[in-house]
Amino acid sequence: MTIRPQPLMRSLAAAVLSLVIGAPAALADEPVTLTMYNGQHKEIGEAIAKAYEAKTGIHINIRKGSSNQLASQIIEEGERSPADIIYTEESPPLNNLGELGLLAKIDDATLNMLPKEYVGANGTWMGVTARTRVVVYNPKKIDEKDLPTTVMDFAGPEWDGRVGYVPTSGAFQEQAVAILKMHGREATEEWLTGLKAFGKTYTNNMVALKAVEKGEVAAVLVNNYYWYALERERGKLDSKLYYLADGDAGNLVTISGAAAVKASKHPKEAQALLNWMASEEGQRVITQTTAEYPLHKGMVSDRGLKPFDELRPPKISPADLGNAEEAIELEREVGLL
Amino acid sequence: MTAALPSPALARFVPKRKRPSIWVVLPVLFLVAMSLLPLLYVGLKAWDAGWHEALRLLWRPFVWGLLRNTLLLMVGVTALCLVVGVALAWLLERSDLPGRRLWGVVLCLPFAVPSFVSSFTWVSLSSDFEGLGGAILVMALSKYPLVFLPVAATLRNLDTALEESARTLGCSRWGVFRKITLPLLWPSMLGGGLLIALHMLVEFGALSILGLQTFTTAIYQQFELEFSNANAAMLSAVLLVLCLAMLWLELRVRGKARHVRIGQGVARRAQPLRLRGWMPLGQLFCLALAVLGSGIPLAMLGYWLSVGSSAAFPVAAIGKALGTSLSVSLGGAGFCVLLALPISFLVVRYKGRLAIWAERLPYLLHALPGLVIALTLVFFALHYVPALYQTTALLILAYALLFLPLAQSPVRTALNKASPTLEEAARTLGASSFAAFCRVTLPIIFPAMAAAFALVFLDAMKELTATLLLSPTGMTTLATEVWAHTANVEFAAAAPYAALLIVVSGLPVYLLTTRMYLNKA
Repeated sequence: MTIRPQPLMRSLAAAVLSLVIGAPAALADEPVTLTMYNGQHKEIGEAIAKAYEAKTGIHINIRKGSSNQLASQIIEEGERSPADIIYTEESPPLNNLGELGLLAKIDDATLNMLPKEYVGANGTWMGVTARTRVVVYNPKKIDEKDLPTTVMDFAGPEWDGRVGYVPTSGAFQEQAVAILKMHGREATEEWLTGLKAFGKTYTNNMVALKAVEKGEVAAVLVNNYYWYALERERGKLDSKLYYLADGDAGNLVTISGAAAVKASKHPKEAQALLNWMASEEGQRVITQTTAEYPLHKGMVSDRGLKPFDELRPPKISPADLGNAEEAIELEREVGLL
Repeated sequence: MTAALPSPALARFVPKRKRPSIWVVLPVLFLVAMSLLPLLYVGLKAWDAGWHEALRLLWRPFVWGLLRNTLLLMVGVTALCLVVGVALAWLLERSDLPGRRLWGVVLCLPFAVPSFVSSFTWVSLSSDFEGLGGAILVMALSKYPLVFLPVAATLRNLDTALEESARTLGCSRWGVFRKITLPLLWPSMLGGGLLIALHMLVEFGALSILGLQTFTTAIYQQFELEFSNANAAMLSAVLLVLCLAMLWLELRVRGKARHVRIGQGVARRAQPLRLRGWMPLGQLFCLALAVLGSGIPLAMLGYWLSVGSSAAFPVAAIGKALGTSLSVSLGGAGFCVLLALPISFLVVRYKGRLAIWAERLPYLLHALPGLVIALTLVFFALHYVPALYQTTALLILAYALLFLPLAQSPVRTALNKASPTLEEAARTLGASSFAAFCRVTLPIIFPAMAAAFALVFLDAMKELTATLLLSPTGMTTLATEVWAHTANVEFAAAAPYAALLIVVSGLPVYLLTTRMYLNKA
């Protein structure tokens, strides 16, 4: 058992120390501390850190940011990266890091716990949980029967001021990539232009969801688990989930994933953490915090979600999505970013 | 014996020394280098991307949209603040409105509420306050005291003889206000207005919460998308140009202000104007401003606080954030005062090129957006001083740069009064120059250093932008917690952090500022 100094005294001491000798705020003589760059939701990272520290005594220091930002940060940091693990909300940033050779291969024992289609090329990253894109609508604002069957139809003038979306979110970019792959560049550009002209942008998915719940807009394009999170908080919601036609890009299944950073000074401990995150125990901790689908083979969520095998996503796997560069570029072109 | 010592008022006539000590030169050179770093950063990134690509990133409709939003916000807020601030100052200084003094105290309360906190309370009331219109309203309500206070102070000290002469020569009341009073108020109005305009250029947290895309929010968005990339740097370049333009304007106005100032020969106060039937309207104006400016934000905060307390307060997390806020702000304030000392020393006691730089430096730093300073420090620390990357030391350096203008002015004023001949006397008695400084000058300027420390400390407590980018991994402050929870629409969770911010930072700032202006007749 180690005695850790009070945070106040510790940071005060670090501040004074750094003032005096200009050295980094060194927090010495603790056992191994892993640094996780966390692009996934704050509370999920914290749940993992808490459970893992209780089990192993290893402290996880979390740097919270957006997945894209943290992945770009690791690229810029290169060999100097202080990150041991990166945990993201989407696969494209991981894919990008893998292609640049900045990730270590994940142990086979870990990867074997997960279905192959949710593992990155060369085993450099792994899906931790799956989520699906959905439409959330407010029945007071629109009848279910009036909702379109394809997400492509939300970009028309009949949706002027009535549909909300989050152009900065990685999940939206993944959806744009899927549309690119399925319908081509021209159609995607048209879709984005239409959304920009008629839709209402929100800064994040929770803001968008609360807006549709309040009736500010009739429908929003978000991920499924936000709705379950709000339902858990409030008990009952006015808004409802809506799934589009079989195989539509609006039903895209994506993953939140994790990887070990090659520059890590604690590769063994990083691999052990990934192993725990893929294990049944780790997945239970995660899926009790967020209403996502566990990817550990044979596990099912106990949050009352639409069963995973009843989802009808387009046939585009996370690995197929590749990088989101082209989608971001398109968003820039139409002036969304 | 005492008669031989020159009075403090004569201090400025003592000839300046030519060559400053290395301990003065080094910190000043360091600060000059630091303040030029953002320009270097933008240049380097543009070079990296290639001029063609850099131009392409600048010249696109998205950037025009940002420019439009930013300028509209700046002009709208400044204009609204000027109208409200001048009207209020006139009402409270020149009319017989009952309760003037109390209104003056109440209507400065927006000083106590950081603008990202008041923004979140308005947005939590209704999403109608999002966007340009809402942002102009909410920002003006939180910034008008910056016009009101200086204009009120000027009005109070104004020589009324001019106005009375104009009246006796047949000018109407409105004519007097327009032809005599307003021109005399111009300098303080312009000063306050330019300050607000600059605040609008560099504001990030509040505008992000109010959902208005300006250069700062777009730069942060680029940072979230691609960390420190060419896009963020190019947007920073535009923002820097806008800020430096404001700086240039401000310096010009400052120069002019001196010509306008009039003698203080007449001590008589102006005859208060009888409002008569207009009285209720005046009261209503003050009441509306009080309700909108601080009533609603504080009431909404109270509401969210009561909602939040039905669940358990996360005492440990709040304590941790408070502890971190206190310690980094203390460190920042200490470092800042340490840096303010050589700067002021150089300006007051020496001449030459470096002294001129030292003189201008605080203004330049004042005009640099915190977000751009933070981006710059991240970039240079990572690539050139990795030992500083993601450390508290880097954050404290950022605070020192951001708040140097605040610390510098009281220290400089005090140093002006500490005659160098006192130190020289000590030296003739055998003290080393360092000992002479410590035993003679330091005690004289110590109160001013303490005041500077307090000012910086209180302001650093609510710093958000640089803290977001520069915090070491795992660190949270009161401000970043308010921001993180607000971003997720968790108003009740944000409330305790916001309330603490007001108590430990806002209220003291409010008390200090209002006292400085309102009690100085």
